[in-house]
Amino acid sequence: MGSWALIAPEITLLATALLVMFSDAVLRGRRRAGAWLGAVGALTAAGLALWAGQGEVTPFGAMLAVDGAAQAARIATGLLTAVFLVWLAGKGLGVGRVRHAATLVLLSSLGSMLVASANDWVVLFLALETATMPLYVLVGFDRDSERGLEGAMKYFILSMVTSVTMLYGLSFVLGLSGTTAYAGARVGGGAMGLFAVALVAVGLLAKLSAAPFHWWAPDAYAGSPASSMAFVSTVPKIAGVVALVRVADVLAPQVPGMRVILLAAAVASVLLGNVAAFPQRDVRRLMAYSGVAHVGYVLLALGSGSGLGPGAAAFYVLAYAVPSMGVMLVAADEGTDLETLAGLVRRRPWMASALAVFLLSLVGVPPLVGFFGKLYVFQAALDAGLAWLAVVGVLMSVVSAGFYLRVLQAAFFSQRASAVPEDLERTHAADVAIGICVAATLLLGVAAAPLLTMPGVALR
Amino acid sequence: MPDHVSIVPFAVLTGAVVLGAVAMMLSRNVVHAAFWLLEVMMAVAGLFMLLSAGFLALVQVMVYAGAVSVLMLFTVMLTLRRREDAERPLDLSAASFGLAFAFGLAAATAIGSLPGARVRMPAHAPGVAEFGALLFSRWALPLEIASVVLLIALVGAVWWTGGEDR
Repeated sequence: MGSWALIAPEITLLATALLVMFSDAVLRGRRRAGAWLGAVGALTAAGLALWAGQGEVTPFGAMLAVDGAAQAARIATGLLTAVFLVWLAGKGLGVGRVRHAATLVLLSSLGSMLVASANDWVVLFLALETATMPLYVLVGFDRDSERGLEGAMKYFILSMVTSVTMLYGLSFVLGLSGTTAYAGARVGGGAMGLFAVALVAVGLLAKLSAAPFHWWAPDAYAGSPASSMAFVSTVPKIAGVVALVRVADVLAPQVPGMRVILLAAAVASVLLGNVAAFPQRDVRRLMAYSGVAHVGYVLLALGSGSGLGPGAAAFYVLAYAVPSMGVMLVAADEGTDLETLAGLVRRRPWMASALAVFLLSLVGVPPLVGFFGKLYVFQAALDAGLAWLAVVGVLMSVVSAGFYLRVLQAAFFSQRASAVPEDLERTHAADVAIGICVAATLLLGVAAAPLLTMPGVALR
Repeated sequence: MPDHVSIVPFAVLTGAVVLGAVAMMLSRNVVHAAFWLLEVMMAVAGLFMLLSAGFLALVQVMVYAGAVSVLMLFTVMLTLRRREDAERPLDLSAASFGLAFAFGLAAATAIGSLPGARVRMPAHAPGVAEFGALLFSRWALPLEIASVVLLIALVGAVWWTGGEDR
């Protein structure tokens, strides 16, 4: 199979993005047709990723690595993008033109797919920029909202500063190893190697909004439409984690300090995310902090150094992304305040049940996908002899139950029934998208469980 | 390739770099300072040409002389309201001289600590044509990704600045 055939999913996404951008010229009067077109494109891309991912190949002179991890991440990215675009086709973003949003979503998805298979520092850096550049615009998509633009600005500045920091680190990696290919990376165990790895880790951790690079997230989440955050906070992280797995695979054996960096970020993220989420009354702020906490679990698995770690990390990010997207989509529909969610069960019982499934999965209640995610993470920590880390993780999961259940309490047991937003539009497409998220949350854990416990399969 | 560069163009270009930098520091008007900086960047591009680094000279002109200095002039244009705001004070205190001296000393020490071995010029310096051929063969994929990044920036800028559909 030729090199270009192996990136057929990315080419499909690019072509779809261009089509969607100019779809108004053809599909006059049908405002949301662009999102439907985009959903079909993303679904096709996921299918092509399935087809193009057989075996382990390194096209473009080993600049990309299309292996099991890349295939899983590309399929997940394509499918979740399709789900989000179906929702977008049903509801719109509330502001602005759907086709612009759909174009940006598709381009970010394209970047994420490249991030997942990057096997060369230059490709990794460029792909990360491709994946995050559209996100700034999506965060500030409501261009008349000052809070949204402020959040976008904070995100942009942090992301740019950390990208440049990472680039600085990569220049050391290049200088020490003499090649930009992952395979040729020789940074050595000295101070220079640790310095380079620390700078590279800063960039990757910031893209995942792990502590201490999380401070932009709550403001950005709360200022922007919940619907655009449903994409921004979930889909790009899948590929980001796979990229981090790959980078850790290359650099951690050479620089033992990398594991310390990952574990420090993990502990900081888990503690800070869960504790800071507690007092939040805006679902978007709450999800911002809980996102930080969940990335902490991913880093915990990866930093443990156990052989189970990479698989657990990659599975956990999926177990975070699906229900998290679901929560944000429900919040986009039914209100982002705990007050507006009050009495949701009387207003829309099915939507309240979906919310319950998502939140319980994020807590880690069996048999939902979140339970299996946490199980594998703690297994990895125990396997590496880091029992205290597993204890911290479990304790913080209990804390997280506190704030997730408060959202549920508002939705199910609040006596005050809030009024339905008047301009609320109910469409089947949006319900289908949320339904898919529910099904994935219910079934993914059970479906993936035998796959991951098989020895040697653990995604890599 | 010769191991020496001719003295006359080297002296002219080095003089232009050093004098331009001094003039930039001494000019009170920030717009004048920006233009002196532009002159320094062009002279550095000339030094690159002298060392047969054609592509580096091209990038120097396009990125630094082109984009960066224009960015500075735009910043000046958009942030200064009145003509008098463009005047900046010239700091001649002992502290500023001390700082400049310390920086110079540090730079001289760093350069002095480099191994003194004479570096031979390579027999053949790759030119822009070879660079281009490599860019569009081995590095075609990163080039295409970079073009997608630019496309995204364009779409985003159009969305944020576009007037319709408010």
